[in-house]
Amino acid sequence: MRKIKKATVLLSTLTLTASLLAACNDSNTESNNQAAANNTTKNETPAATNETPAANESTTPAPDAPVDGGSLVVGTFSDINTVNPIYIGDTSSGDLGTFVNANVYDIDRSNNLVVEPWSLASELPVISADGLTYTIKLKPEAKWSDGQPVTADDVKYTYDTIRNPDAGAPGISTVDKIDKITKIDEHTVEIKLKQIYAPFLYTLASSIVPYHILKDVPVKELEKNPYGKDPAKTITNGPWKWTKWEAGQYNTVEADPNYWGSVKPHIKTVTIKIYADQNTQTQALIKGDIDLVSSVPLTILDTVKAKDNINVVSQPGPQYEFIQFNFKGDNFPDKYVLFQSQKTRQAIATAVNRQGMVDNILKGTGTLLNAPFLSTSWAYDASAATNYAYDTEQAKKLLADDGWKPGKDGILEKDGHRFSFELQYNAGNARREQVAAVVQQNLKDVGIEVVPKAIEFSAWIDQNVTPGKFEALLLAWSLSNPDPDGESIFSSKYFPPAGQNSGWYKNTKLDELWVKGYSTVDQNARKAAYAEAAKEISTDLPYVFLYQYGAPEAFDKNKVKFDEADKPEATLGYGYFYHAIKWWTVK
Amino acid sequence: MTEYFIKRVLQSALVLLLIAILSFLLIHAAPGGPKTIYLSPGLSNEAAKIQAHNLGLDRPLPVQFFSWLGNLLKGDLGYTFKNHVPVGKIVWPTIGHTMILMGTAWVLSLLIAIPWGIYNSTVEYSLSDQTASFVAYIGFAMPTFWFGIILQELFSLKWDLLPLSDMYTMGKEGNLPNLLLHLVLPVSVLTLGFLAGYSKYARSSMIEVMDRDYIRTARAKGLPERRVIFRHGLRNALIPIVTLLGLDLPILVAGAALTESVFNWPGMGRLFVQMAISREYSVLMAITLIVAVFVIIGNLFADILYALVDPRVRLDRKGGSA
Repeated sequence: MRKIKKATVLLSTLTLTASLLAACNDSNTESNNQAAANNTTKNETPAATNETPAANESTTPAPDAPVDGGSLVVGTFSDINTVNPIYIGDTSSGDLGTFVNANVYDIDRSNNLVVEPWSLASELPVISADGLTYTIKLKPEAKWSDGQPVTADDVKYTYDTIRNPDAGAPGISTVDKIDKITKIDEHTVEIKLKQIYAPFLYTLASSIVPYHILKDVPVKELEKNPYGKDPAKTITNGPWKWTKWEAGQYNTVEADPNYWGSVKPHIKTVTIKIYADQNTQTQALIKGDIDLVSSVPLTILDTVKAKDNINVVSQPGPQYEFIQFNFKGDNFPDKYVLFQSQKTRQAIATAVNRQGMVDNILKGTGTLLNAPFLSTSWAYDASAATNYAYDTEQAKKLLADDGWKPGKDGILEKDGHRFSFELQYNAGNARREQVAAVVQQNLKDVGIEVVPKAIEFSAWIDQNVTPGKFEALLLAWSLSNPDPDGESIFSSKYFPPAGQNSGWYKNTKLDELWVKGYSTVDQNARKAAYAEAAKEISTDLPYVFLYQYGAPEAFDKNKVKFDEADKPEATLGYGYFYHAIKWWTVK
Repeated sequence: MTEYFIKRVLQSALVLLLIAILSFLLIHAAPGGPKTIYLSPGLSNEAAKIQAHNLGLDRPLPVQFFSWLGNLLKGDLGYTFKNHVPVGKIVWPTIGHTMILMGTAWVLSLLIAIPWGIYNSTVEYSLSDQTASFVAYIGFAMPTFWFGIILQELFSLKWDLLPLSDMYTMGKEGNLPNLLLHLVLPVSVLTLGFLAGYSKYARSSMIEVMDRDYIRTARAKGLPERRVIFRHGLRNALIPIVTLLGLDLPILVAGAALTESVFNWPGMGRLFVQMAISREYSVLMAITLIVAVFVIIGNLFADILYALVDPRVRLDRKGGSA
């Protein structure tokens, strides 16, 4: 469930408007990712390690008492498609869904699956001893906005529909391990899996649809159904009701006076307003037209930070960037894989100034990463992965040890092969352009020639990434599900074109570790497997892992108020609205 | 006249069909067309095939084209790829919004540019004429979005006199004074852009005409200068301007993508940019076609107006193709 950031599409096409504002091209356009609300479990690393002291301080509002009835205006930059949770696949729709759709389970700041007062379930799922059956109990008081109770039928219908290929639901792969869903009683559902698959737990941190409204709709017609598209016909179960969709302009939700939860929302009206791009949106925040934006472009970050009334939350999101190597001979001249030696790959990791990228290109808004596990994840073990500190001399030494010798033009050679490769990335992504230039210079310093090549995003994905045809590339993964499982992108079971291991990377030990990691629901056993995976992958380096990053959130601190416990959490999908039910607004 | 008109309409229909075919082919040939954008990485291959089938994307191109064309003739612009929202629901409201913005700017710029240009032609190199030249150069040289940002910075963020962006303050939709306030900045930007072209055009066209023999004749026979300018000069000077107006007509619909984006005006220009970003090709095709219709109408309109202001252009068999 790792998706190539949809927003990179945004970026590549933004070249159109890039001429409009230089800043438009900024990397942070990418924060518009499609992280789903699915999330994680235990966390043993304090999330706060990611934050600068300034960020901590600035997100703490004055401790005044909550007031009811305020309004909140949020900026976004594309219209919604639907609020039907079965079909939500884009950030704007997901943002709106956060307010109107309750989740069966929620995720807390430390990535635990939890039952909040606003969750539909009454207790955590009970997992059978064999790890195959999950029993979910719903709160009897949970109701749809038309007064009907939320029942086991709703849960069964929702997951069965997502499972049905005719429905065309984007989340189909999140439920492909389900064998059978059984209604035990009005408020109890039992989900049986085909195999033990621990990441399934996070699938349950999602929203459901009303069976009593949709049961007679043919599944192929479901996507076209007004449910999710027409506010008047969309029955929801969250704290707010969707009341208005002004196409291309804004969406409004209002606190549902009949909301079933024991905790009621303080904010009466939430409006999500569409702006042409991040810059106009940020201007509107400065002007006071809107109260919160989920991402500020780095180019104007300093301007925004300088404003007295605006707080900036600088914590990277759930996405990381990397240099990927290709291991398939067909992609190289004479079928000679330049990166076949582990030592060579380690030399490249050592030669690249990753900290410099974080400081200068990300302006400090990112953090270094050594393995595909985010530091906020329970699977993260700080001591497991190898960190390659920037050291040109050490890199040169590693390359020499590995048999690379300088040729006539100073570029290294081995067995008659010149160390020169093409580094691909998507055109129009300013961040990657800068990173590619740094990589080119850093590797030139150790005698490796890098030819950066920018390609239009869609064409690139179609013709190079998906079929695995490239020498090396620069890309990012956005973790829509923070489960540490990485099988689908690193295992040799998933070679192109069907799978997403587009570098044709094969490591038998790692292949087994991924299976070991998801084949138990015992979290300590899982943690051990992923620590081992982190060690193996950071030694073997199918990627040079660069950094975790994300655009900073900003809000009007004189208007938007919350207690410290309810502040936004950037590392969660839609975490910029974390605990919004407890926020209040003044003015 | 009727025959000419029918001929032109038939020609136009043919041109439209060609445009339809071309835009359809181009969009389907583009890398990462509707198929790839729909089939997101999370989908299994099996589900992806079913999706493509549901959308009709697995049918041969000609079949897809005629099905699209057939729906189009019924006035059905199709659905968006991502979530089956009717394209018409998205596109039609934006045309109105764009026409309000562009129409205001256009009319305003004409009202200023033509009289000013004509006046300047009579007082060449005067202060007024120099000013007009200066304004025109700024209008030509300054990117509209840049000017827009400067205006926003000053009038909205710094002095707080005018709204920063949007068409209405939220909740005041349909309120005319509110709309007018929101129009001031974007209209100023657009007007400056139009003004530059039209005033220069009006001036040079007038100067050229005023040099002609028939003007000299008119003056020689003792007509008052006023009458010479308005009756003999202006009427002839307007001919090229009218052509220009006809050709500019589609802009009223297509909008100015950059200005609309900077001012967050919910028009068709901004929509086009947003839809290009999210690769909603059905919407892009619809917009392309709608604009094409207006281009053709604009041309037709220019030809007819041309004939009306210039009696030498006859709308008969011979003159029709002028």
